[in-house]
Amino acid sequence: MNIIAISINHRTAPVEIREAVYLSNEEIKNLTQKIKDTLLSEGLVVTTCNRTEIYGIPANQSINHEEIQTALLNQKLVGGLKAEHFQYFSSANAIKHLFSVAAGIDSLLIGDNQIFKQVKDSFQTAEELNFSGFLMKRIFDSAVKAGRRAITETAISEGAVTVSYAAVQLIEKIFSHLNKKSALVIGAGETGEIAAKHLRERGIGNLTITNRTYERAEKLAENLSAKILPFANFKESLHEFDIVLSATSSNDLILTKDDVATAMKKRNYNSLVLMDIAIPRDIDPASKNIDYVFYNDIDSLNIIVQQNLAKRKEEIPKVEKIIEEELESFLSWLNSLEVAPTIKSLRDHFEAIRIEEFEKNKNRFSKEDQEKVEIITKKIINKILHTPTVELKKFSENVASSDEAAQKISILRELFGMNNKNEKEDEVEK
Amino acid sequence: MKAVIDTLNFFLPIFYIVTFGFYFYDFMKSGKKFFNSKRLFLFLTLLIHFCYLIFRTVYFDHPPITNVFEIFTVLAFAVAFSYYILELLTDIRGTGPFIIIISIFFQLVSSVFITDVFQVKEVLRNHLLGIHVFSALVGYSAFAMSCVYGFLYLILYKQIKLNKFGLIFDRLPSLDVLERLSFISAIIGFILLTIAIFIGIIWLPKAFPKFSYVDPKLIGTFLVWFLYGLGIITKVSGKWQGKKVVLFSILGFVIAILSTIMSNFLALSFHSFY
Repeated sequence: MNIIAISINHRTAPVEIREAVYLSNEEIKNLTQKIKDTLLSEGLVVTTCNRTEIYGIPANQSINHEEIQTALLNQKLVGGLKAEHFQYFSSANAIKHLFSVAAGIDSLLIGDNQIFKQVKDSFQTAEELNFSGFLMKRIFDSAVKAGRRAITETAISEGAVTVSYAAVQLIEKIFSHLNKKSALVIGAGETGEIAAKHLRERGIGNLTITNRTYERAEKLAENLSAKILPFANFKESLHEFDIVLSATSSNDLILTKDDVATAMKKRNYNSLVLMDIAIPRDIDPASKNIDYVFYNDIDSLNIIVQQNLAKRKEEIPKVEKIIEEELESFLSWLNSLEVAPTIKSLRDHFEAIRIEEFEKNKNRFSKEDQEKVEIITKKIINKILHTPTVELKKFSENVASSDEAAQKISILRELFGMNNKNEKEDEVEK
Repeated sequence: MKAVIDTLNFFLPIFYIVTFGFYFYDFMKSGKKFFNSKRLFLFLTLLIHFCYLIFRTVYFDHPPITNVFEIFTVLAFAVAFSYYILELLTDIRGTGPFIIIISIFFQLVSSVFITDVFQVKEVLRNHLLGIHVFSALVGYSAFAMSCVYGFLYLILYKQIKLNKFGLIFDRLPSLDVLERLSFISAIIGFILLTIAIFIGIIWLPKAFPKFSYVDPKLIGTFLVWFLYGLGIITKVSGKWQGKKVVLFSILGFVIAILSTIMSNFLALSFHSFY
């Protein structure tokens, strides 16, 4: 199989390089137009904040990885980019790498669900640009299947692996129905925004934002259909919330133990979750000593993150097995594509010889005997071809040696002059 | 039929142990391999146990409530059956090992020590007594479950407070759910105990003309009934929740056990039949 791939990823290049190489939709379009047909007959460009990869079927046998790499570098002029920042893959290894990417085991954040969606989007873009042909479509189906199986059959994507998501996971261990709960997010910065989004995604009943700069709170609240509370007097309403998530850049404590104790009294000691994901901390850690107050800071949430990452790593062998199975299935299909025409050519070749010889000699026999001779010669040909046909079919099933199968098929075609014959037929057609 | 009863008596603890094994395996390994089969196996175990109880009743011509070890097998069934119903209602399958282990204990003790009793006091053949005892036993089983869920709540509460995110944190449902399970079990137990007390009050004067209302068993039972009633009212009225409610449930169960031990084994009560 003649497929090649180049990759810049988190293992080969630092973040500045990866960011610099990242291609926008417009850039993917331009690059595709340049390499389509000249370098690759069909292909795919995958680009995320952590990787940029190009897969494709070379337009002719002389095209190699370096030429694809040069095309990419011509598109993106990145200072400091060196040859060692690239990883090259060929044949089955290229497919296997794509499956690993789709299944999330090649990601910086193992089991990252996002990459699966990004790979699907990349295929869609390739299709829109008519860059995806018969073979790439089949590769896409197999990659999607491998990714989906990894998600559904293993725990590779389970558990929170970011602090803000771990906070939500922990909240769900305390409250079963978030749709009946109220949450207050203090701070409308990036961290606060991510945490608020997670809460909204998990169906929080009431979401309120408070921030020193009212305009920022207003903007975030608008995006998330949340309410706004003036920062100056949010403490007076603290008891109304079941979840308080703080992520400000304040150097001092925003909530003291006394503030929390007062709120707890007012809410009749109904459980209160305090998630302090700010550095330095916003909420007095001594608040955790109050009954029914569940206080967590970055350090404790990181424990959950690390545990989940370790569990995901344990799932990698299971995902690798799925990838092997899907690769085997794909290669089996691919080999069958090469074998079927070979069997037909072989049979046609022998049948042509038989007919030629029969036509030459048929007048030596009576009309009655001619029929018998025809039947006998057909049977002889069938018997001769039986073993080669069976063996050829085995080649297609024996996916462990896909390249070897291709080599054997090539030798066979050469031995019986089937390649020359095809070329002659092509010339005649022309 | 005797051979069937003896065979079932031998195999019932094994069935419960195997069922426990399925639930325990799933608890330890994130609950996917036997997700549906464990429930099916519990159902089969309960079906076999139910047949066993029916066979005993028919063959010995009295319900299996005439001695402690007969009561134990009914208790094992009642606990597992209550759990099965609760699992069907809530679809929470992760707490099975903590409940089924109670059934294993009762059934194992029963299977080892149970004897064949053909001659029993006439009072123990009464149908009203049968309903009285069964409702009381299922009620106490529900209290036992409420207590177990209460314990699980306290363990998870402590673990979250101490930032320990181990197996218990991973596998148990949320604190809210555990509190709800404990509370639902307590309500079921309270209703069944109320039925048992009601039947007892109707039936007592007929069966025991000389009984006394200050009998230790009656006082203990009323105390348990009162405690659970009080706990349920404070929870429903919103005055108490969380730790306080589950602690009350645990306390109620401890008093229920102590009351049973004292009235059946230590004090002289009309309620001691064996």
